[in-house]
Amino acid sequence: MRQDNLIDTANTKQLIACQQCDALYERPQLKQGQNAKCTCCGSTLLERKVDWVNRSFYWSIAGLLMLLPATLLPIMGVMLGGQYDDASLFECVLALIERGFYMIAILLFLFALAVPTVRLLGVFYLTYSFKYKRLRSSQLSFFRAFHHLDNWTMLNVFMLGIVVAMYKLIDDTELTVNLGLVTYTCWMICSTVAVQYLDQDEIWQTLEQRFGDE
Amino acid sequence: MKTAKEQGFSLCPKCHKVNKTSVEPIRCIRCHGLFYQRNRNSLQYTLAWNIAALLAFIPANYFPIMIIYSLGVPDESTILSGIGKFISEGLYPIAAIIFTASIIVPLIKIIGLFVLVYRAHTGVRLKPDKHSTVYHILEFLGPWSMLDVFVVALLVAVVELGFVTSVAAGPAINYFAMTVIFTMIAANSFDTRLLWDKFKENND
Repeated sequence: MRQDNLIDTANTKQLIACQQCDALYERPQLKQGQNAKCTCCGSTLLERKVDWVNRSFYWSIAGLLMLLPATLLPIMGVMLGGQYDDASLFECVLALIERGFYMIAILLFLFALAVPTVRLLGVFYLTYSFKYKRLRSSQLSFFRAFHHLDNWTMLNVFMLGIVVAMYKLIDDTELTVNLGLVTYTCWMICSTVAVQYLDQDEIWQTLEQRFGDE
Repeated sequence: MKTAKEQGFSLCPKCHKVNKTSVEPIRCIRCHGLFYQRNRNSLQYTLAWNIAALLAFIPANYFPIMIIYSLGVPDESTILSGIGKFISEGLYPIAAIIFTASIIVPLIKIIGLFVLVYRAHTGVRLKPDKHSTVYHILEFLGPWSMLDVFVVALLVAVVELGFVTSVAAGPAINYFAMTVIFTMIAANSFDTRLLWDKFKENND
């Protein structure tokens, strides 16, 4: 977008700045589905997402439905010498704690279970309150805290981990793939898509109009 | 180009609201969070976390990452010897994935961040647009190094067949996880706007 030489700097409500290079712009009026890019570094400044409340809401409900099956159903099992063992995501964490590998137990719990769950619940709560107009001033702090989790979900990495672990086991053992893997994949897709559809700028704008102080 | 800093504004890093610059730390008028105009001591923090990551990367490769017990006999493997095993078994794609995720990506991240910090500090041959692209690639790659940790965690939990076969995690897994987390924190504390600030400062 164009950067005018005469930016009206009196009103901060009409200003936006690029997060990557700090270039200052006047806020453009965007329609749904349009986005604005920075002329200086090319990163996206603003994005108006189509029907984000409904899409994000329903995807997050789908994710929440998948949450329990994905964590509690066994992901895969091995059979060797007549003995069988399988593990779900939750059992993985418990087994690691039992055998004293506390650090990887904590990491697995945080990055593959706790953070994605909290994020999914967060998206559900936010979209629910936007859909049914239950806005509260506490949501300002809530959404700010929500952004701290942005970098720390590793569902997709764990998914690749499952694939690699299967390759390791497939030669020496009889490997069975269980229902947990299917539900886990669905959970991963649902929670990723639900977060993707969030229109952050619109959330902040709406919250500011209601609860902001000038 | 007019930057917010020159015009007396600061961007809240959490809610992206343009605030009037006041005494740091600034309290955002929209989300009420405290922030600084640029990430505070950004380069120092990035450098420090980066050095920590590099130091943790040495024991991560030296100690065994996984110990396989078959009929009570332990078989230790480090990251590199594990990859070697895959190659000798002819599983090239998996060997390539593991090698990329656990050797190349952490190294590229550490080296890349060192270069970025150096460039942002000195301004030598600084191309802010290219360097911010590099930064975004490094940031995206970060979590993928956790792959090896998750694989070992899964194997430990799934292959627990008593005396016949069991898998234990070696000490290297903790160091490796630390390397990955440290590089992620290092990348998070880097502020790309410093590249543009330095670039403008050099050209003026």
